[in-house]
Amino acid sequence: MTLFNKSALALSLSISLAFSCGAAQAESVAIIHATVHTVTDQGVLKDATVVIEDGKIVAINPTSTTADTIIDAKGAILTPGLIASMNDLGLVEIGAVGSSLDTYEKKADIIFDPSLAYNPKVTTVAFARKGGITRNVVSSGGGDDIFSGQIFTVNLSGNWNSILAANTGLVVSLGATEEGSRASGMQQLIHKLEDAKKAQAKKSKAKASTKEDDVELTREDDIINAVLAGEKPLIVEVDRASDILHLIKLKQNLDLELILVNAADAVLIADKLAQANIPVVIDSMRNLPENFDSLHNSLENAGKLVKAGVKVAIALPGDSHGIYALRFSAGNAVANGMSYDDALAAVTANVADIFHLETGRIAVGKPADLVLWSGDPFEFSSKVQKMWIAGEEQSTDSRQDKLRDRYLQKTAMPEAYSR
Amino acid sequence: MAKLIPSLVAVALSTAIAGCSPAEQQDPKVTINTNPYPSTYHVLPNSTTLLKNAIVLTGTGQRIDGADVLIKDGKISAVGPQLSDEGAVVIDVKGKWITPGIIDVHSHLGVYPSPNAESHNDGNEMTNPVTAEVWAEHSVWPQDPGFNRAREGGVTTLQILPGSANLIGGRGVTLKNVPATTMQAMKFPNAPYGLKMACGENPKSLYGSRNELPMTRMGNMAGYRTAFIQATEYKRAWDKYDADYAAGKNPLVPERDLMKDTLKGVLEGDILIHNHCYKAEEMAMMIDLGKEFGYHAGTFHHAVEAYKIADLLAENGNCAAMWPDWWGFKLEAYDMVLENVAIVDAVKNACAIVHSDSGVTIQRLNQETAKIMHNANENGFDLKEEHVIGWLTANAAKSLGISDKTGSLEKGKNADVVVWNTNPFSVYAQAEQVFIDGAKVYDRQDPTYQAKSDFMLGQQ
Repeated sequence: MTLFNKSALALSLSISLAFSCGAAQAESVAIIHATVHTVTDQGVLKDATVVIEDGKIVAINPTSTTADTIIDAKGAILTPGLIASMNDLGLVEIGAVGSSLDTYEKKADIIFDPSLAYNPKVTTVAFARKGGITRNVVSSGGGDDIFSGQIFTVNLSGNWNSILAANTGLVVSLGATEEGSRASGMQQLIHKLEDAKKAQAKKSKAKASTKEDDVELTREDDIINAVLAGEKPLIVEVDRASDILHLIKLKQNLDLELILVNAADAVLIADKLAQANIPVVIDSMRNLPENFDSLHNSLENAGKLVKAGVKVAIALPGDSHGIYALRFSAGNAVANGMSYDDALAAVTANVADIFHLETGRIAVGKPADLVLWSGDPFEFSSKVQKMWIAGEEQSTDSRQDKLRDRYLQKTAMPEAYSR
Repeated sequence: MAKLIPSLVAVALSTAIAGCSPAEQQDPKVTINTNPYPSTYHVLPNSTTLLKNAIVLTGTGQRIDGADVLIKDGKISAVGPQLSDEGAVVIDVKGKWITPGIIDVHSHLGVYPSPNAESHNDGNEMTNPVTAEVWAEHSVWPQDPGFNRAREGGVTTLQILPGSANLIGGRGVTLKNVPATTMQAMKFPNAPYGLKMACGENPKSLYGSRNELPMTRMGNMAGYRTAFIQATEYKRAWDKYDADYAAGKNPLVPERDLMKDTLKGVLEGDILIHNHCYKAEEMAMMIDLGKEFGYHAGTFHHAVEAYKIADLLAENGNCAAMWPDWWGFKLEAYDMVLENVAIVDAVKNACAIVHSDSGVTIQRLNQETAKIMHNANENGFDLKEEHVIGWLTANAAKSLGISDKTGSLEKGKNADVVVWNTNPFSVYAQAEQVFIDGAKVYDRQDPTYQAKSDFMLGQQ
């Protein structure tokens, strides 16, 4: 993980160097007269100015504004870029076309790194930008094993260097199984972690008494040890409360960083999750009892979890084709009991906190992932007016727009002649 | 199936001979009971109700601000400003919006219910490419908690369809979204049956992988045509029987065939086609298929590429039922545009519908419509709430053949009514009260009107 971070850092350094060589580069942009939802303690700043330079937010409400480009927001809402998570964006073009599908790897395991399959040019990336999504935490669909590999983080620029960090969390799927007992998966996870802990203890003891050369650790050991050291979160896709209780215990016994995904029944034990400081990534639109693990699904769950003190991120897990609609899920959470500010945090700052991203808030020093909305970001009537990823302005045009325009114009020649 | 054709010829021959002896006494006339599982639906307890001071979208393209809706004897009695009725229960809904009850033309509630368990997966008879003999109503589990969730989203009527594994999947049934213990008690009285057909990837991939026809799209077409050739012969045999009988002869009764009964109903115009069909070129072929056999190709469901053939659909009187933004799960769903419904709708005589095909989405068809309206308006359209509500009400009713009964707030129509707390095309909108035939079936503020499925009762 660290290795990858470094190389990503090196990349971004070289890019900014390249930019600073040109005369017109290192442009600064000031967005003035904006209603800025900072998603920080500063709250909402009316008629505010945000200045971007070198991909970062360099000033908020400076005493005097100088910038190469000044954009008058005319009171429009500026938010941090929305952050999606736990979907397969970039790993699939079309679900039912096997050759375009790089998720659901049967042999996925602890060391599986789906970022190697990431394609920033899939049509879903441009489409997701329509929803004001600037970053994404990608996870693979997994396979036969309880471990489905690791997550990675991307920005949605569609550039070749969009992967920001790989191998940043280990994903486990637990709970209902078509055959056999769920106990087996839970036991496998517990044993894997406990045994590794024991091995560590044994090894450090052996190290102290003898001076034998270290036995080289396997790649799998490295990952499990990172999880045990709290350097890498354990991300568990699980629904039933009885399963979650075991995981709370596991977290406490081994002092892990634990993130729950889906967690339909988390609402039954929300106070325990809050006490144990365990965040939840939830699909706020689930409200059917899909199976016996999710009998308590409700549109009110996201809001209830927040009220109980749980840090909540809203996500549309799984398929990536519809993640542009993330903001509407946040709106529905508001309609069903979550405060507006909490809902905005659930698609920005909280996602950043949970997955250790440096963005998600509008504050000096943060990457300039920003969206200027024509109205309330959660409403169908609003659209993205402008968006920036790390200070670079983005287009929200997609293949879908081209198809629409092609068939809206009437010409004597077949549509195939229009671009 | 092929065996039956020569025997039918034999039947026809023998009846012709029998017809030669005028002295022969006629056997009792045999007729096919087209309604063997009749509706037992009863309107729930209701009273005369006057909803006051709302913004009313009638479903016929009209918006009336500050209007009242008077519900009497289960019907819409009047819509307009300052109505009064002595005996009415008056509900002030000032500032709220009223629409007709939402109709989903494509649901699998009850046949693919929650919880999703193999034991209740009753929606796809994937044993033969043509299963016109199966009826979705025989699979409906009325306790599916999804019916209650859908009602909370304003859905008052819904068509339950078989799945799309087969070329011809079987009959759909139109239900009133009332809680009931039996399917018959939900059945929409006198609604025509629908027939589910499916184009494209699903049938060809399922049967192709079993090395059966269809393996290709040309195999799909061959399968439909074969079935309708058989149905044509079957109908001819029954028509001849009826004609001979009417002429005083005593013809042999054609052998009853459940599969062909349904297709005969299609040929006679009694059963409406509901065709899962994504692609422009395939919809065009299904229209021609209907012409080849003399039936109407009906409504295209999913219709992701309908915008490419909006003119053709309107010219032929086909409805298209669509989503705003489902795409990319199959190659045939790749060419999605967010404005599909709006483009189809913009043509004269169009019939654009927003449908769900989902126990989740059915709860928010108003929001699905909002996505389309606002995207389209960003891109050159000028759509208003009073118009787009028709995609969920009047047009859906037309597709199901029940537009004389529901789908708009017009005098004499069934009082299927939704009161929304705000503009129904806002993300924050919620259905507050829902009426079916004038009976309150849901009230967000009053637990008395919040139905709970047997399945959810007592779950800890």
